[in-house]
Amino acid sequence: MSTNSILCSDTYPEFAVFFGAMGAASALIFANIGSGYGTAKSGIGLAHLSITKPERVMRGIVPVVMAGILGIYGMIVAVIINGGLAKTGDVKAYPSAAGYIHFGAGLSAGLSSLAAGLAIGIVGDTSVRAYGKQEKIFVAMVLMLIFAEALGLYGLIIALLMNGTASSVMTYECIPATSQ
Amino acid sequence: MSSAAGGAAVGTTGAMVAALMPSKKKGSSDPFTSIVKYYIFSPNYILYYIGILVVIRILYMLFQGRGEDFNIGQFLVDINPFMWANIGIAMAIALSVVGAAWGIFITGTSLLGAAVKAPRIGTKNLISIIFCEAVAIYGIITAIVFSAKLTNGQQVREFEVANYFTGYSLFWAGVTVGMSNLACGISVGVAGSATALSDAYESSLFVKVLITEIFASVIGLFGLIVGLIISGGAQNFA
Repeated sequence: MSTNSILCSDTYPEFAVFFGAMGAASALIFANIGSGYGTAKSGIGLAHLSITKPERVMRGIVPVVMAGILGIYGMIVAVIINGGLAKTGDVKAYPSAAGYIHFGAGLSAGLSSLAAGLAIGIVGDTSVRAYGKQEKIFVAMVLMLIFAEALGLYGLIIALLMNGTASSVMTYECIPATSQ
Repeated sequence: MSSAAGGAAVGTTGAMVAALMPSKKKGSSDPFTSIVKYYIFSPNYILYYIGILVVIRILYMLFQGRGEDFNIGQFLVDINPFMWANIGIAMAIALSVVGAAWGIFITGTSLLGAAVKAPRIGTKNLISIIFCEAVAIYGIITAIVFSAKLTNGQQVREFEVANYFTGYSLFWAGVTVGMSNLACGISVGVAGSATALSDAYESSLFVKVLITEIFASVIGLFGLIVGLIISGGAQNFA
């Protein structure tokens, strides 16, 4: 009695790559949306800071840099997921389970970075303007940005974890289709 | 007794109808017309109507024993992979251009408004517009690179797994590049607007606030890189 009595055509369907690639794509897309929002919103505050206190601009670029890192998180996850996609024309290469896991991994990293980007944008904008008025706010600003950045890091960690799970489910026992 | 109960029923129905009526607006002649205009001919509840129709369709299939007809996998496989690839290429160029255009008009409006009082900023801040244009160039590059894989236009053999991989990967690579460039274009536009306004205040601030725009344009570059990587494993159509 085989452990898995499903046909190979059901375990390794042709559309499995759709979900895997959707995972890689959504990781980068949502991370970039978050990164773009964070960069733009903090940039507006930075322009206001430059008008009031130009000598503090170089320290006020910190939110912009931290928002840019979120795009890198998304790119890391997208490239790693892409490495797990089956590229050969082999039929028994990419099960649907791996496709769904890759999709979940990409979505987790992408939406987490989106959330982090929203937080960094709003916090960075307001705190950079406040930094123009009060110099001691810098430490509080950096601490808040670090906590916001950690959200994107959580998504990255879970995505890498799920990708590791997907690599271990690449082979399934199944009943091959009888030649007719 | 029954007439009292009937009167109570009519009273509650009247109360419910009165609660559902939209607020009085000028121009609505009578309650019936205002109800029809609010609930049907305006985009207030259109999503609920569409959702109800979809649910009714699904229930029809479920109760007639055809529940297995709702097959997402079959839908994904039935669409020709050639079509998937072409839609991906279209998304790459279309969304990139939308992002570039959005960024250009966000920057351009601020630039033109600030240049009224400070005409010196006009020429130097065109670099922000060029940053937005680069986003559209990324889209064109990826569309041309992906189009090179669209061989065998006559008849794509549908039942080869490699063709499916090419179709799906080009679709998602194209959507990745397009959506990343869309986000990048808007971000660069807002940053460019901030740059122009800072430059109008004082010339020395231009370079400092331009750093924001450089970070924003990196986003489009990420999309380009990942798009080329995802589509790198795709072979030509057979």
